[in-house]
Amino acid sequence: MSEPAPAQADPPKPQLHVAPSPHLASTATTGGMMLDVLIGLLPVTVMAAYYFGLHALIQVGICVGSCMIFELMFNAMRGKPASILDGSAAVAGAILGLSMPWNAPWYAGVVGSLVAMGIGKIIFGGLGQNIFNPAMVGRTFVMISFSVSIGSAAYVVHDAPMEVVTQASPLSVAKEAAGAADLPGLWALFIGNVNGSLGETCSLACIIGGLWMVLRRSAAWRTPAGSVLGLAVISLIAQLIDPQSLTMLQHLVGGAFLFGAFFIATDPVTSPVTPRGQWIFGIGYGVLVFLIRQYSAYPEGVAFAILLMNALTPLINRWTIPTPVGGPAPALVKK
Amino acid sequence: MKLKYLFDAWLVIFLALGFGAALAGVHIGLSPKIEQNKLDKTLREIPQVVPGAVKEKSQPVEIESITVYKAFDETDKHIGWVVPAAGDGYADKIELLVGLNPDASQITGLAVLSQKETPALGDKIKAPDFRDRFRDKSTDQPLAVIKDGGAIEVITAATVSSRAVCDIVNSAVKQWRPKLKELN
Amino acid sequence: MPDTGPTAGERFIQGIIPENPVLRQLLGLCPTLAVTGAMAPAMTMVGATAFVLIMANIIVALIRPLLKPHLRILVFTLTIATFVTIADRFLAAFMPGMSELLGPYVPLIIVNCMIISRCEICASKQSLPTAVADAFGVSLGFLIALGAVAGVREILGTGQFFGITLLGKGFPGWVLMIMPPGAFITLGLLLGLVNWNDQRKKKTAA
Repeated sequence: MSEPAPAQADPPKPQLHVAPSPHLASTATTGGMMLDVLIGLLPVTVMAAYYFGLHALIQVGICVGSCMIFELMFNAMRGKPASILDGSAAVAGAILGLSMPWNAPWYAGVVGSLVAMGIGKIIFGGLGQNIFNPAMVGRTFVMISFSVSIGSAAYVVHDAPMEVVTQASPLSVAKEAAGAADLPGLWALFIGNVNGSLGETCSLACIIGGLWMVLRRSAAWRTPAGSVLGLAVISLIAQLIDPQSLTMLQHLVGGAFLFGAFFIATDPVTSPVTPRGQWIFGIGYGVLVFLIRQYSAYPEGVAFAILLMNALTPLINRWTIPTPVGGPAPALVKK
Repeated sequence: MKLKYLFDAWLVIFLALGFGAALAGVHIGLSPKIEQNKLDKTLREIPQVVPGAVKEKSQPVEIESITVYKAFDETDKHIGWVVPAAGDGYADKIELLVGLNPDASQITGLAVLSQKETPALGDKIKAPDFRDRFRDKSTDQPLAVIKDGGAIEVITAATVSSRAVCDIVNSAVKQWRPKLKELN
Repeated sequence: MPDTGPTAGERFIQGIIPENPVLRQLLGLCPTLAVTGAMAPAMTMVGATAFVLIMANIIVALIRPLLKPHLRILVFTLTIATFVTIADRFLAAFMPGMSELLGPYVPLIIVNCMIISRCEICASKQSLPTAVADAFGVSLGFLIALGAVAGVREILGTGQFFGITLLGKGFPGWVLMIMPPGAFITLGLLLGLVNWNDQRKKKTAA
């Protein structure tokens, strides 16, 4: 593996800007884009630290650190140059860390990072080749593996140092208890003064960070827009049919939905590149989140929804190849 | 032509007969032991399901072609019934044995014969700690988990499995209580 | 019928790693994925499969001069099905717990292509000693493959090996590994490892 023959040299480095024509030159680099994502995650992290104290920073630190170490390690094993400086490992680690509950044991972060980098990313050939969002692969693995210590029941700690975490997370309340009536008020859900995963509680911070990424063009605006549209429409219908269930607004700000819509669904590697495809991806994500929350045993469905839509991404990309200026490409009509 | 095909197949026919005979022998030789194993599996659980019952003294009773077990204690006193029950759990079918006292007014215990619930969560329905929560509960009212307004404490993070066990017990009680009361 | 083809010794060695049924030929994947949550059921499965494979190879090698080409698959299936039924009944009689745990996967040995492929490739063409050596070699290969998958899954999933606690009590079991996804992940990584090793060997040889 260490000395590739000249004939089978690595294919030319893929350009970051993979959207269909017109191909305008862009100054964007992977590193720059990942930096934008990290900056976008900053408000979320700050709010997590505000609500959950040092626990949040330790958790995110563990995940970022181990993701970067595992990335270095796996790249060395493959005999490839280290891609650590492009920041994608740090982003995956940060998202993984922020998707954990504050009291997740340290090994959950480490194992999650190992799976995220190893099975989520490097196995497929590294950045740009992976089908599934690495952070969500890791998150799902540890969520199922250590369901006792980081499943929905783990959030409630009655003698916790923070007042926030003495109650179940809002969606768990909705799932386990009689109905939506016991939920904290909408304002608390919006500013994040509720229990939940580190990054998900403060919707305001997600929106601020997300808008930053969208304005910087580091995230496609259509994906989050489609997500909000999808979840809003279907949950509004549900609310009208059954007033007892979660309302549309509770669905939108009550869980990890916005965090997923802005930071995870917009992952350029695992979401569609075409504008129509991004709408489809977003709407599908929103609808799936609703369906999983409503009909599965899990209170929250963001990770599963993202993974399912990731699996559909190649198909969506093929369906939505835009027509180039001057009519359809003849090769596509018949072969 | 057709006769030739038949002739070609003589080896298949011969083998089929030979193998068939061998299998019949194996079946005749082993089936008593297999039947005994099945019975043992249920009988083994009886002392757990009806406290004080003795395995050797318990007798199978056929009611409407379903086998239930009459449990006796050391002194040959009839102390309860063991009835089979099954229903859908979170992952797959759950099969239980439900113990009832002689007039079927109280649950004496539970045993899990087979289940495929989530490892480390739902499969805790096997744990004595959970099964004991059903002990000595009256069968006058259907059982329910605390969240549904009942008295059974659920397994943490396995509400669905806990609820399923409650439902299975309830349906078994509903099915057997009138019949066992009559017999008593 | 002249006995042409690899000798008994070659057949035995080839079955273990060079033509490993699971890792090289990707046959017999159903039990490899389904019963490898722990070592005990995996090894029982290996035992039952090895019994069927060895007996089928013996019978087929013995009646090989009588086989009609268009009826041979029928004869193979008949032979395999007989021994699978015997194995299944024996498990039910003497290892009832294990029989229940393995459930439908014991009867499913009938459709394990690994066995019929050995009947077709070796036993129906070569002499009895070669066929027996072949069956033992392939069984050993099957043992290695299932043992590897089951070992990794049981250790990571529960911290145990053959039910004996190996890693300390503080080890948090990676429950996903003993669930079905764990089988796919482990087998995939194992196949990747085998292929990677092959490529490396080819490179150093070249």
